[in-house]
Amino acid sequence: MNSVHINGSDTIQVGLIGCGGRGTGAAHDCAASSDGVKIVAMADLFPDRLNGSRENLKGLGDKYGVTDDMCFTGFDAYQKLLATDVDMVILATPPGFRPVHFAAAVAAGKNIFMEKPVAVCPTGIKMVMDAGKIAKDKGLAVVSGTQRRHQKSYLETMKRIHDGAIGKIIYADVYWNGGELWSVPRKPDMTDMEWQLRNWLYFTWLSGDHICEQHIHNIDIANWAMQAHPVKAFGMGGRQVRTDPAYGAIFDHFAIQFEYPDGQVVHSFCRQTDNTHSNVSEFVVGTEGKSDPGGWIRGKTDYDWKGDQAPYVQEHTDLIASIRAGQPLNEAQRVAESTMSAILGRMVAYTGQEITWDQAMDSKLNLVRENVAFGPAMPEIVAMPGRTPVA
Amino acid sequence: MKKDLTRREFIKGSAAAASLTALGLPKKNYAWTAGSDKLKIALVGCGGRGTGAARDCLTSSEGVEIIALGDLFKERLDSCRANLQDLGDKVKIIDNKCFTGFNAFEYVLMSGPDIVLCATPPGFRPFHVRAAIEAGKHVFMEKPIATCPTGVRHVMETAKMADSKGLGMLAGTQYRHHGGYQEIMNRIHKGEIGKLTICNAYYMMGQLWNVPRKPGMSDIEWQIKNWLYFTWLSADQPAEQFIHNLDIMNWVNESHPAKVNALGGRQVRTDPAFGGVYDHFAIEYEYPSGAKVHGQCRQMDNCFNKVCNYFIGTEGSAYTEGFNDPVGWIKKGDKIDYVGGKFSPYVQEHGDFIKSLRDGKPLNEGQQVAESTLTCIMGRMAAYTGQEITWEQALNSKLDLMRDIRSFGPMECDAVAMPGRTPLI
Repeated sequence: MNSVHINGSDTIQVGLIGCGGRGTGAAHDCAASSDGVKIVAMADLFPDRLNGSRENLKGLGDKYGVTDDMCFTGFDAYQKLLATDVDMVILATPPGFRPVHFAAAVAAGKNIFMEKPVAVCPTGIKMVMDAGKIAKDKGLAVVSGTQRRHQKSYLETMKRIHDGAIGKIIYADVYWNGGELWSVPRKPDMTDMEWQLRNWLYFTWLSGDHICEQHIHNIDIANWAMQAHPVKAFGMGGRQVRTDPAYGAIFDHFAIQFEYPDGQVVHSFCRQTDNTHSNVSEFVVGTEGKSDPGGWIRGKTDYDWKGDQAPYVQEHTDLIASIRAGQPLNEAQRVAESTMSAILGRMVAYTGQEITWDQAMDSKLNLVRENVAFGPAMPEIVAMPGRTPVA
Repeated sequence: MKKDLTRREFIKGSAAAASLTALGLPKKNYAWTAGSDKLKIALVGCGGRGTGAARDCLTSSEGVEIIALGDLFKERLDSCRANLQDLGDKVKIIDNKCFTGFNAFEYVLMSGPDIVLCATPPGFRPFHVRAAIEAGKHVFMEKPIATCPTGVRHVMETAKMADSKGLGMLAGTQYRHHGGYQEIMNRIHKGEIGKLTICNAYYMMGQLWNVPRKPGMSDIEWQIKNWLYFTWLSADQPAEQFIHNLDIMNWVNESHPAKVNALGGRQVRTDPAFGGVYDHFAIEYEYPSGAKVHGQCRQMDNCFNKVCNYFIGTEGSAYTEGFNDPVGWIKKGDKIDYVGGKFSPYVQEHGDFIKSLRDGKPLNEGQQVAESTLTCIMGRMAAYTGQEITWEQALNSKLDLMRDIRSFGPMECDAVAMPGRTPLI
């Protein structure tokens, strides 16, 4: 099939790589977003995750059409799925695999929806940026799961901010302070690697830590508001409450200060600690007003977004419309920059150093692992600022 | 001398005052104004900062002499006394006005000073400044002035007592007495950088000293000698050290904060030798005007260090750092204006204070420094508990770390705070 699928009458055949909660949700959102879309192939490392997701997706009715021979499991499942003639893939495995999967999907000529974050280290970021350029050359669409970029409340408010509704931006605060997330208890027969993969949130090589895995949504808004990525950062973090080895080696809180090209500062806070004050939001202050870019402005002209919209569906609507219009969206560079901003925040907290964007991008830090297999796996070590090297 | 005066008796105040009066405390005029007399000072707490404060006070003005010293530990007192010797005839300390032990401050108060310098670990400050004001002494008190909201309220009451008695209270927030800072604050208050939107304050540095535990040291001796690492004694870094910056934030905002959120932890400095304090805090204050203050403080070796303040307005910005010349700048558009001032605010504050006493208009910074201390403490409380805390909650908090220790002995170490589990009291 033509990889540049522009014929509006054809059905877009979609393959799902990574059949966990978010992948299954993304498949639902994709199916709900547009006519002429069908989920036809599935891939996951674990048969149990694939089967559970497959049962769930059967509810899509005639937008579901996954036959047994289009179900692939194991570490090479993504390669087998990419070898089929699907038009589009949803990449929703743990983020550590994303750079390899994204590059392979681009090489295979697929249109791509990829969940955030899109990498966990600078090496992975560069792979994504490079593959994003190839996708552009090939005319492939790439949309990422930073859904606020497709959310009308944000789009309308941000447009007004950029039109000067709050004057020149002075600073922004972004937050993801919430509780703990799920974990999967270790069973006696689980190898180290299976245990890590099933608890991928808690391993930096798989999730990028929660500043990257979750808080990227808010950091992405900071970059959007500033129309740039940070030039440097410093900050702090630690592993204060969630210290059980069941939670790998990641931190449970970060406080980062990012500096942008015009000297503006963005303060970022994220925390995953139960029974603490919750706040998931962004706040932007300018010379002539202030705004929650998710829906209101108090400034030269006040604005309040009224309405409701499902951004998780909208991002797929926009993606598929762009494919059909022959003007494929390509968000790869932008989401790579937002992911890298979050990685930079993690790096400054882990090391205790101030680090520039360029230093981080040039760093040799490489958490990309190919040829992953079940068996023994090295535990990660909790970062110690002042001792953990920048790499 | 009643040796085991309990803390509760002290808080009652009248009981303590009665006991001191009964012991024949000199009945000097509280409102000391006679410019010709020598001003007699006494120091309680003879560590590095106390010794420095005594030196600063003595060099700040003519006609000042030090007559008494008090410290829990004899070796600290002796080294302080030796250190001050070079100040010549301003030092009038005789052996029988050197007091050691837990009750040393009470003897110091009876030794006839006009001004008492209170420089012990902060946990003892509320008791000491109350006793000094009750005894009719002017007070210099190092920052912070308490380690818990109960102690802050105690000092606020003491400040009112001082007012009614015509006594002065000077606080060790010395930037308030620096001409360069005063100029920058005045210019910001006059609107030179527009309306304040955000200020950023930093006290990010390496680890501080600690005293190894020797065999035979009781828990209490060990904790007091390592007071930095015990919240009941030091109030933890946001108050013990970062208060300098956060006091400036209250000054520039002409208010205390309305509420606070914070993150923090004990990530690297985890050895029990370092008690139960955290090693990093990130604190976000919101002021009644809507302006915010973001603060980061850290004590970790080999990390990025930064100790300074930024003030960002709608029409410009300003910066201060330490007290070298220049101390900072005010920037508007492309124009940057450096603000200087070559003098030590540590000396200046004593000069200002003594002048105010001689003018018969005693400075009283008690309420101001109590508010700045509570500002810091509420930041610590927000980090320790993981909760958002309003000023009213902090001001009315029942958290009480005041311990009127009067003997060495066993004492449990503070538990390390766990956000979400450590209760907001």
